[in-house]
Amino acid sequence: MSRFLKKSIWIFHLNTGSCNACDIEILDVLTPFFDAERFGVKLVVSPRHADAILMTGPVTIESLPKVVNAIEAVPRPRILIAMGSCGVGGGIWHDTYSTIGGVRELLKILEKRGIVVDHVYYIPGCPIRPEAIIYAIGLIKGLVKKKAKMKVKTAE
Amino acid sequence: MGKLGFVKILVIAAEAGRVTRKYPYEPPLVSSDFRGKIEIDETKCIGCGSCVLACPPNALVMSDEGEGYRVLKYFVGRCIFCWRCIDVCPVDAIKGTREFELATDNVEDLDEAVIHKRASCTECNGLYSTVKQKAYVMEKAPITENYVDKCPECRRNKLLRAFEKRRGGESLE
Repeated sequence: MSRFLKKSIWIFHLNTGSCNACDIEILDVLTPFFDAERFGVKLVVSPRHADAILMTGPVTIESLPKVVNAIEAVPRPRILIAMGSCGVGGGIWHDTYSTIGGVRELLKILEKRGIVVDHVYYIPGCPIRPEAIIYAIGLIKGLVKKKAKMKVKTAE
Repeated sequence: MGKLGFVKILVIAAEAGRVTRKYPYEPPLVSSDFRGKIEIDETKCIGCGSCVLACPPNALVMSDEGEGYRVLKYFVGRCIFCWRCIDVCPVDAIKGTREFELATDNVEDLDEAVIHKRASCTECNGLYSTVKQKAYVMEKAPITENYVDKCPECRRNKLLRAFEKRRGGESLE
């Protein structure tokens, strides 16, 4: 059972200037082959109906005001799932003039404007595998264990 | 479709059978040529920085931190899994894995670091390169210890002085 969501997770897919590879993987997850609806995941058309926002892309400057509006419209508790290399760290566009460079910069802007995001999830991959999305859904629902861990090694 | 239209669909569904994967409860469909997260072997890495130059999204970054330490940082969240670093590594310290289950709720879980000790110059005590890279150069090239133990600046000054002496000029000092 989920730790903070008692019912099915309804998701709003938010493209913030991605190359569409991640978006195609989202479609892949919804096909009968991977079938994310097993876990109650459903795409909704309005952020006001959604529990979580599935964000792809490095957040271009042009899309930033719309992204902020969409996240503000989600009822609390808000979950933001940053997908792909671009969503998490900006990808190969992390230092270009036309993007703000991923979710970490976006969270700083949201904090400045007083918009609270309760939970943030990160899914790296370029593009992410459909299984990686299902793994993340399992992580939110508490079905799988977290594998990623910070490593600091010392060379002898 | 009449009243019995749904029977047709049932027949079609029965022919196709069950196609849905039970993924979190069964192994994923990862082929042998899938590129996942990279793994840096700290015992082999010499801290030369060629992977940092090859990395397109700057997921691998090298910086000098603290007193005499050089740190190679790997941020998985920005990695595009092109595996160029594996191709350019001169000592095969970087290995590719098939790992893709990297989802996390804490961004710090995606960081990885290898800490290297920097070499110090015998003449001016300045820091340069890393201890392991120095050992690698000594092993691969016929250079004397006397030459490698100095930092690039001291090495250049020494060469200039040698030229001046040969041409009968005065030393810089």
